[in-house]
Amino acid sequence: MKKYKIKLDRRNFLKSSGMLGMSSLAPGVFFQELAHARPLNEPASSKNRWGLLIDANQCSEDCNACVTACNEEHGIEDFGRPTTDTQYIRKLNLTHEDSGESLTIPMMCQHCENPPCVDVCPTGASFIRADGIVLVNKHTCIGCRYCMMSCPYKARSFIHENLENQVPHTPRGKGCVESCNLCVHKVDKGENTTACAEACNKDGHQAILFGDLNDPESEISKKLNKYKTTEVRSDLGLNTAVRYRGI
Amino acid sequence: MRDKTDYIIVEFSKAIFIYGLVAMSFIGLGFYSFVTLEHEGHWLTGMNNQIVWGLPHVFAIFLIIAASGVLNIASISSVFNIKIYKPLGRLSALLAISLLTGGLIVLVLDLGRPDRLIVAMTTFNFKSIFAWNVFLYSGFMAVVALYLWMMFEARYNKFVGKVGTFAFAWRVTLTTGTGSIFAFLVAKEAYNGALLAPLFIALSLLVGTAFFYKILFWMDRGLGIPLGSEIIKRFRKLLIYFIFTVFYITILSHLTNLYVTKNHGYEFFLLFSGNIYTFLFWGCQMIIGTLFPLLILYNKKLSKSASGLLYASILVLFGGFSMLYVIIISGQAFPLDLFPGYIERSSFFDGVEATYVPSIYEFMLGLGGVGIAAAIYLFAIMVLDFTPRSLDNAATAMANVPEPVTEEQLEEEKESQEEVVDEKSSVPPDQKTTEELETEEKNKSADEGKPAEE
Amino acid sequence: MYKILSIKISLALFLVLFSGSSITHENIKHNIDASSGDKCVEPTDVMRAQHHIFINHQSHETVVNGIRTKKYSLNNCINCHIKPLADGSYPSVKTEEHFCSACHIAAAVKVECFDCHASKPYKKVAKKNIEDSSK
Repeated sequence: MKKYKIKLDRRNFLKSSGMLGMSSLAPGVFFQELAHARPLNEPASSKNRWGLLIDANQCSEDCNACVTACNEEHGIEDFGRPTTDTQYIRKLNLTHEDSGESLTIPMMCQHCENPPCVDVCPTGASFIRADGIVLVNKHTCIGCRYCMMSCPYKARSFIHENLENQVPHTPRGKGCVESCNLCVHKVDKGENTTACAEACNKDGHQAILFGDLNDPESEISKKLNKYKTTEVRSDLGLNTAVRYRGI
Repeated sequence: MRDKTDYIIVEFSKAIFIYGLVAMSFIGLGFYSFVTLEHEGHWLTGMNNQIVWGLPHVFAIFLIIAASGVLNIASISSVFNIKIYKPLGRLSALLAISLLTGGLIVLVLDLGRPDRLIVAMTTFNFKSIFAWNVFLYSGFMAVVALYLWMMFEARYNKFVGKVGTFAFAWRVTLTTGTGSIFAFLVAKEAYNGALLAPLFIALSLLVGTAFFYKILFWMDRGLGIPLGSEIIKRFRKLLIYFIFTVFYITILSHLTNLYVTKNHGYEFFLLFSGNIYTFLFWGCQMIIGTLFPLLILYNKKLSKSASGLLYASILVLFGGFSMLYVIIISGQAFPLDLFPGYIERSSFFDGVEATYVPSIYEFMLGLGGVGIAAAIYLFAIMVLDFTPRSLDNAATAMANVPEPVTEEQLEEEKESQEEVVDEKSSVPPDQKTTEELETEEKNKSADEGKPAEE
Repeated sequence: MYKILSIKISLALFLVLFSGSSITHENIKHNIDASSGDKCVEPTDVMRAQHHIFINHQSHETVVNGIRTKKYSLNNCINCHIKPLADGSYPSVKTEEHFCSACHIAAAVKVECFDCHASKPYKKVAKKNIEDSSK
């Protein structure tokens, strides 16, 4: 199995040492610094690789906070048609066939390093950003659904109806394919979190951790170093950016 | 080698009118469905986030496969030089173009954003098999159009062999491309295998032949172009070969899966679990689409009659359609196994068989494609001489006899030395085959009286 | 003979179809939210001619590279240009009261943007909704 890449470069070093210095100042100043981790006019960089660590032990079966938060964040409407309604994130309940051991985890786009959806997309609308976030460019998506056929995680949804009142940071419309975008608008603003992770923390579960897999000083990297974690369908060798602990 | 068949431009008749009307109403239904789906979105179809490709894709792939298959008849004559098929060459190429157009239109109109077709034609990701297929399909059109030109223009008839060979190679690649759409999907257990490409090629040969025969039969009944027992005999053989080829590769692919333990789940799901796909596989594909046609084709009486072969062809077409339905839909309906050893449940239908009930809109869209293919065919035979005047035994035998040399031809032949060499070398075998044909025919008519028309 | 006639007819048709209602910008009433600022990011004539180029370019930069500068962003356009109606609600993009639709309907140029993008200033709408519900 591939290990996530660790890159310690000048930029990340400066950033982390800068944060250390900042933390001694007033909290407001500290957040100001975080919010401008990357200037708005600078493109996403391959120095980062954003990902999630999901702890199955902390995730509770009757909690749906991440799903609700995601739907609210991205303005996902419920048309009452479960087979065609969009789901960026879903709660997956697992029961072991023999032992009956049961666990629950959130499932979403795994943001592979080698995504099959990007390989099969005829127009290149399905693409992977420099910082490892897999997105659909809805300006070039023709709605062929080949990416949905190829995704091993069933992470993608097709927009089956006309939409109105979309939220500004998540444009989405009929006839295109979409999936979890790792709250890319938050990432670009330097908020360093996702809607699901925020909601999970708020509920006190702390089961979802967002962070930079390429930054050895990030909390996610430290945890990945310390604990045994799993990639879903690691047999496919896709090197996912979403890792699970406790499955 | 010059084509000596007598071709006609088909005049408007009752048969053309009726079929034209049917084609137009199919197109109307397809257009209505397209406009509705474009306005309302795909929630009106049976397709959903689990079954993302449904009936329109079955129709489209069926038509595309049939398109590459019907071209086989022309290939047999110009690549493998079996001259009895020569009078069918033009029709074969025409049908290939019209069926491909019909299939592609269904595929395009089912897109979520058909208005962005221009994006698909200008922005390419060359790792995508769909992107290759854009070139394979449009290239196929161009190659077949060139092929047609060579067949139509007497001066260029000598190039038919070369262009035909190129077209044959192209169509094999094209069907490989169509099969690879599914074969290269790592996510789905049902599709994971390059064996799908040869399976699609074999299926295309079978469906294309059956479709071509259906057209020949219609020409005989509707347009009054007599169909001789020689052609029927040949088509019977072709059908038998191709049915067995498809059967063989189907068995092979299932045996492969049955040997690999992790694929047992899917094989059980398809072959034994008793769902709609089990029924379609055994009932429609194996019994109606394979066994019944073989029974007809090996029946002494039916196999020699034009309508007997028609029944076999229709059953084969039905079986081929069911087969594509089984491959395309069942592969998506079978749940992904994200966590082997665990039973998965979610609000997104993880771990359960996905349901798919095609809606009327999808069916109408598919019919629209069929309608467009039929309309192109009907229109083309009325404006250009695609159709041989007769396909009875005398006419097909005539295609093999060198024409008495006219002065015009003599002049042309002087111009082109190569052509002369060509014709000379092929004259002796030609004569042999015609002699054989004639004797066979005599024997037959002595045996049975007039050979089976009914 | 017929050729010349048919050319004449089509010319006449062309004139009839395209001369009647020429679009002048003065005909179109503007609803610009003055509270957001007094001028656009470029001079008006530049914006009239090239707004789609700016927006298209910016869309690529944002989606592919994650650049979210405010200047040419569609959200920035919407936040300034979409003004509430008399009753305080925001106009639908399907009506001519919507800033973009005013011209685009008159010129019969389809706008694809709002198939996916929000056509109303999100934060203002949300604020109004909260106010409404508190009343």
